[in-house]
Amino acid sequence: MKLTSRYEQTSCRLVLEGLPDLSAGQSSQTIGILTGFSLALAGKTELEGQRDHLQALLNVVLPYARGLISGVARPQGAEDVPVAIRPVDGQHELELRSSQPNTPPLRLPLDDAELSDLVRCLDRLQLDPQVAVPLQWPAPQPLRRSELRHRLPLARRVAAPLTGIAALLVAGVLASLLPTPKPPASAPAAVSTPSRGG
Amino acid sequence: MADAPVQPQRPLSRRGLERLDLLLLSAEALDLNGGEAMVWLSEEMGLTDLFPNRVELWKRRCSNPLRRTTRRDRITEAEADGLIRILNALADRLYPMLRSLLSSAEPPQLSEQRWALFRGRLQELLKERFNPRRSGVQRLLDPQEGPQLCRELIQTMALSAGPVGFTRLKASLMDAAV
Repeated sequence: MKLTSRYEQTSCRLVLEGLPDLSAGQSSQTIGILTGFSLALAGKTELEGQRDHLQALLNVVLPYARGLISGVARPQGAEDVPVAIRPVDGQHELELRSSQPNTPPLRLPLDDAELSDLVRCLDRLQLDPQVAVPLQWPAPQPLRRSELRHRLPLARRVAAPLTGIAALLVAGVLASLLPTPKPPASAPAAVSTPSRGG
Repeated sequence: MADAPVQPQRPLSRRGLERLDLLLLSAEALDLNGGEAMVWLSEEMGLTDLFPNRVELWKRRCSNPLRRTTRRDRITEAEADGLIRILNALADRLYPMLRSLLSSAEPPQLSEQRWALFRGRLQELLKERFNPRRSGVQRLLDPQEGPQLCRELIQTMALSAGPVGFTRLKASLMDAAV
């Protein structure tokens, strides 16, 4: 018996189809084996794929969204994975690469609202107790200083070290203008020659 | 379904607290009853042990160093988690509004009116409750820099709306200091 799970959010519709994995002791209403999924993004092509494609999608979209929350739009998805996402002209571009040779990748532009709709659909899937498909959900981690650094404009990044160096130089110049203390004058001979008694 | 990812156990930094309180303030700017909604969401989510009443909830938010009347006692990790969960729930309720602000498909004039309304309310709340001498507050009130920072606040709320948004937002609030 085929089961279907739908997640809809304004511009995005994600539909999972599968079968219960009765051998794993799951209920007959739980999708344990994914036979396919479809993803419709408003005004764009409806995409279809298998579990690996769904895994590749959430591997790039969720870390990308995680970066955006910290104000860092980092491209996600290496050359050899089926899905990638990157910032383009203040928007986001989802790239889907076909496994067929000589097929150009499909590039879908998403605005901020469409991206958050997609993230919400994936979040609902993660929470859905009726879906027990083995999927790896990337765990969000705090970003390191080096990952956040390019977020600040160059002028603000270099302001503090430059001010420090300038202050050191000024202090050095001022210190060199101070008169150096003179060496102490040679003390007069304090020892008097003993008078010879006669 | 995956297990909840493990979060590092440490309290929020000063910067994290500032951002969390600013996001809660943005929710109040979007929803005139936002302050009340926080209280009843806290009760509904069973957080009354952490925040027994509205005064305690307000006191926890006042550990934000950008406030006019800031409290010196540090917020505990459980209290910060409670505030993040309240924010996720508020963002979930306000999602249609967040989405309409972020969408490029809306008529530009209408979109600009909505942004102006949000920014106006946020600025009123900032002037009323935050210390205007702080550079973080001045940047939000700045006509050049403010609009982009306001957009970042709305985008953060949209991408962390709902229960799964908790780990995403908490990780971001724990980013290293730059």
